[in-house]
Amino acid sequence: MKKEKIIRKGAEASLYYGFWFGKEVIFKYRIPKKYRIEELDKKIRTERTLNEARALIKVKKYGINVPQVFEIDSVNSTIVMKYIPGNKLKDILSDLDDNLKKKYFNEIGRMIATLHRNGHIHGDITTSNIIVTPEKEIFLIDFGLHEYSDTIEDKSVDLHLFKRVLISSHGKVYKFCFKAFLEGYKLKYEKGEDRKYDEIIKNIEAIESRGRYIKSEDRI
Amino acid sequence: MKKLCLGIESTAHTFSVGILDFEGTTYSLINDVFIPEEGGLHPGLVREQHLNNFMKIINRALSNAKISIKDIDLIAFSQSPGLGPVLKIGAWVARMLSQLIDIPIVGVNHCIAHVEIGRLKCNINDPLALYVSGGNTIVSAFESERYQIFGETLDLAIGNMIDSFARDAGLQHPGGPKIEKLALESKNYIPLPYVVKGMDLSFSGLYTAAKYLLQSNDYGKKYNLNDIAYSLQETAFGMLTEVTERALAHTEKKEVLLTGGVAANKRLQSMIEYISKEHNARFEVVPLKYAGDNGAMIGWTGLLRYQAEGGHNISETIIKPKERMDQITIPWRS
Repeated sequence: MKKEKIIRKGAEASLYYGFWFGKEVIFKYRIPKKYRIEELDKKIRTERTLNEARALIKVKKYGINVPQVFEIDSVNSTIVMKYIPGNKLKDILSDLDDNLKKKYFNEIGRMIATLHRNGHIHGDITTSNIIVTPEKEIFLIDFGLHEYSDTIEDKSVDLHLFKRVLISSHGKVYKFCFKAFLEGYKLKYEKGEDRKYDEIIKNIEAIESRGRYIKSEDRI
Repeated sequence: MKKLCLGIESTAHTFSVGILDFEGTTYSLINDVFIPEEGGLHPGLVREQHLNNFMKIINRALSNAKISIKDIDLIAFSQSPGLGPVLKIGAWVARMLSQLIDIPIVGVNHCIAHVEIGRLKCNINDPLALYVSGGNTIVSAFESERYQIFGETLDLAIGNMIDSFARDAGLQHPGGPKIEKLALESKNYIPLPYVVKGMDLSFSGLYTAAKYLLQSNDYGKKYNLNDIAYSLQETAFGMLTEVTERALAHTEKKEVLLTGGVAANKRLQSMIEYISKEHNARFEVVPLKYAGDNGAMIGWTGLLRYQAEGGHNISETIIKPKERMDQITIPWRS
């Protein structure tokens, strides 16, 4: 077991590249946050480490591309997982042609629908948490805010947050990408479950109209 | 004589008039704050106070700046978002003055004004802003022509949540500073709901849990008000800091601005300053005088818009109580 180099210092965790019994791995270490009191900080880090590791293991069985978990160290809030080579979708999105964008967002839609249909909420779908490998495969990472839920509301919030990330970070291609995403999402909700899809989508509008949010059509 | 702008803030409990020149120097700033005898802000009562006092406030602002109303070259007013009946007073006064002395009028989004005054007073250019107040809780940064909202509360605003709790605990409005003081007396953390969804937050469960602590039989025995105040602040500010850090990592901005009324809280300041340092970003907190709602920020933001694309027609000055800051393009930064 060896940490070779730090490859990303995120908001919550530091990612180290290294080796674990000869395998190329990522050490995801949730850093103590000194701005929080220790008691609260320790609780949040331990909970999220266990939560993320459990979620990664569980959702893998639905055939979703997520990193394989090798080891969990809750005392040091570290997960050892398979190294996935590639780029964050955020960094390459503006270089993609429309065909690829459509393909990727379709695929992401199908992945999220699979999660939702099985009662899993990702909790932090952003273009930073999606990896595109050199083989053009999509991987979903960062399940630290994952929740188990089968309610329409939680699924809608999950989609709503992603929509907001697309608007704020990729305003120019948001419409195209979110449409492709929903097409893929809907595909997985077919076969007699159409109505549930409609309810989830309709509820996004309900969330947006709750005081702070205006209807998407009113957006200038 | 330099050209002058008069800015009117009237979105909630504060009716404020600021006079500043076109370079951003403030000549006067007068606030009149509605303080309820009991309960929260009743829009009708707030409106009454503003209606009674607006002329006095304007006159005091003019005499402090040692000018007459005729020396004003531009009127700016808070057009959105806020309490409808209260917004109307500001809009009505601004329209009247604009037509009376025949000068241009410009409507301003209150949230954008909180960020713009921070950029001016702290001399920063492109910050990630955490805007925290009684009515708003927003993490915003400038991206593709707008002040985009990266994170925000899904229910209560942070200031509203703290004030409501303070009221339940029998403290008088405004409760924020009192809770801050009480929290300093405790180190006993009581676990409370910590709810972060992506870069968004929810404070309603936290508020309810804190309220239940007040009603519990253990209150006054196992813990006291200081302990709840401490736990409430630590939990809520921990959440705010976490989403701000997330947005900072995501946007990779090099400046962080803490603005809005709750920006005055020292504990929150120290937390946001800590994460700014971690990400090698410069941390600035808006000066106290300009942290809460004020007419100077409205005047300054009105100036920016006026200089970029002229004033509004009277027909465009209708109030927009629910307008979001990310609905508006920002010509002066594009």
